[in-house]
Amino acid sequence: MTDHIGESPRTYVMVWLTLLVLLLVTVASAYVPLGWANTPLNLVITVTQATLVMFFSMHLRSAHPLLKVIAAIGFFGIAILIVLSLLDVLTR
Amino acid sequence: MASGVAMTAPQFDDAEQQRSSSNLGIWIFLATEVLFFGVLFAAYSITRVRFPDAFAAASRATSVTLAGINTAVLLTSSLTMALGVHAARQGARRALVGWLWLTVALGAAFLVIKAFEYRLDYVEHLIPTINFDHSRPQADQVELFFYMYFCITGVHALHVLIGIGCIAVIAAMAARGAFSPSYFTPVDVTGLYWHLVDIIWLFVFPMLYLVSRS
Repeated sequence: MTDHIGESPRTYVMVWLTLLVLLLVTVASAYVPLGWANTPLNLVITVTQATLVMFFSMHLRSAHPLLKVIAAIGFFGIAILIVLSLLDVLTR
Repeated sequence: MASGVAMTAPQFDDAEQQRSSSNLGIWIFLATEVLFFGVLFAAYSITRVRFPDAFAAASRATSVTLAGINTAVLLTSSLTMALGVHAARQGARRALVGWLWLTVALGAAFLVIKAFEYRLDYVEHLIPTINFDHSRPQADQVELFFYMYFCITGVHALHVLIGIGCIAVIAAMAARGAFSPSYFTPVDVTGLYWHLVDIIWLFVFPMLYLVSRS
């Protein structure tokens, strides 16, 4: 079903460096007054980091489509939970 | 346990099918973990939308330096874990054991830094029900933030602690030669769990520490 070969150590190190750079960017951006845009920017960077970890470190890139679907289900469930809950709170 | 021999349980056709089943199982478990933390994140989102100013003030009272260092520590532990799984795939026993213990050490460092952070919160009277300072502005709403802060970081720290325990057991098994390139599923599965704990922290960090820093 799954036939993941894994990545090379070089790839893991590159992913790690990218994650650290993104961490610096997200911390630095938090100190720049961007108004409402600060939080979405932090969120976009975090989602990028999480995607990198899942695709490379967790081998989702070369995983069976079924695993990709299951990996997405949890996040999809939360998205529904948060968005619908906020719709209620924000439209009262 | 025979050294380096893939043991196939009777319900599986072959080792590959057994490995795939383990992978599927851990991913389903990870999805439930995501949902578990997701409920806390949903509660946080709703409360933050209702009390944006209090959450901004509360977040500024947290220690972004210690949390930032901790994020780097956890990201690095994810790298050492990934390199450990790679070593297992290559059958490099000594490297595998080394990477696993390094991951344990980084995980422990995360918890120690976390403890220093909690101590700082105690000194600044930020711990609800224990010593929260109610004389600050919007005290009740700020206290609500810190209830969530301790709940989310506490449950996450518990996951780190469990991860450290699992990796230590795997490291001891690896040192005894329990794994080979044809059978290293426990290393693989523990690694996936560890990476997920890392991912959850990646979301926790901006949520709790980076609200309205500018």
